[in-house]
Amino acid sequence: MNVLGMGLFQLVMSVAIAAVLALLLVLVARGAVRRREGAAWGAVLLAAFVAVVWPDSTSRLARFLGVGRGADLASYLTAVAMLVGFWMVYLRLRALRRDVTLLVRRLAIDSAAQTLSQGPARTADGGPPGDRRPGVSPAPGS
Amino acid sequence: MSDLPAGTWVVVPAYNEERTIERVLRELCLVCDHVVVVDDGSADQTYAAALRVTPYALRHAINRGQGAALQTGIEFALLQGASVVCTFDADGQHCTDDLAALVQPIMAGECDIVLGSRFLGRAEDIPPLRRLCLKAGILFTRMVSRVRLTDVHNGLRAFSRRAAERVEINNDRMAHASELIDIVRDTGLPFREVPVRIRYTDYSLAKGQSVLNSFRILFDYVVDRVTS
Repeated sequence: MNVLGMGLFQLVMSVAIAAVLALLLVLVARGAVRRREGAAWGAVLLAAFVAVVWPDSTSRLARFLGVGRGADLASYLTAVAMLVGFWMVYLRLRALRRDVTLLVRRLAIDSAAQTLSQGPARTADGGPPGDRRPGVSPAPGS
Repeated sequence: MSDLPAGTWVVVPAYNEERTIERVLRELCLVCDHVVVVDDGSADQTYAAALRVTPYALRHAINRGQGAALQTGIEFALLQGASVVCTFDADGQHCTDDLAALVQPIMAGECDIVLGSRFLGRAEDIPPLRRLCLKAGILFTRMVSRVRLTDVHNGLRAFSRRAAERVEINNDRMAHASELIDIVRDTGLPFREVPVRIRYTDYSLAKGQSVLNSFRILFDYVVDRVTS
């Protein structure tokens, strides 16, 4: 199977990448994806398209950079990209943890302040009225 | 009944401390009217035990780490109008007798931050490996924060109101000790160390930080500094 001098894999991949690229353009035009993010993803997709349609190009780039083969270059770049990706996910995770903490703190302070403002309803030997965890409620007559 | 000046609040972060919390709190309540417990999402009866002793019991719905619990307690104490905020560990390693010496310099207006130091005082039975780890932490702090302290990982501290207002612990876990030292440096508020006793018991050792965990704390701290 050979169309325009391309094998089946090349054909399918190049069409798929072109389709995603077109979708990205639409999303950026609609404002659903920010321009900077769109540009970054566009560059990655464009590079993938070039690498698929002209397989020699990665090898030529690899030789230019002093790396043996194009496939090696691709795997090195993948490793770097994954590290950057992990780091970004890690930063997001930290931000998320931070938000959860702020939420938990707000809840703790607010509910304590509320219980306190309700006056001496809190018994010396038991939980607040709303606490239904087992073992918290005071024993009868205590 | 209180030995400590009015307006002094003691914050006790607690996570799964049902075995010790009640005794620690009862001792604290003998010297201080305002004891805040922050139950950091314990799975045991820590919260119920705390409520039996103090009306100021707060509960994190989810465990967030000691740094987060401290910050919650400090914010709550400030909201309640605290003029001095102390921190005190829940595992029974501190002595309530030491609190007065921490609060006194602040009340006298001599400084804003007072840190307890076990190496100035008497630390009872520090295991050698833990001593080494703590010393390494102190050295690290001297290099990174350029603040000369004899003990940076001591849970016994006191802050004036204006110092407490500047405290913003961002690291939820254990790197907050170093973070607090950075706050000491960044605010430029006068600080001092006073000798305190630490009682090392099998319980407090088991609850404390493992030596391996210091690497995680170090990692936390470095990442915080890099990304802030």
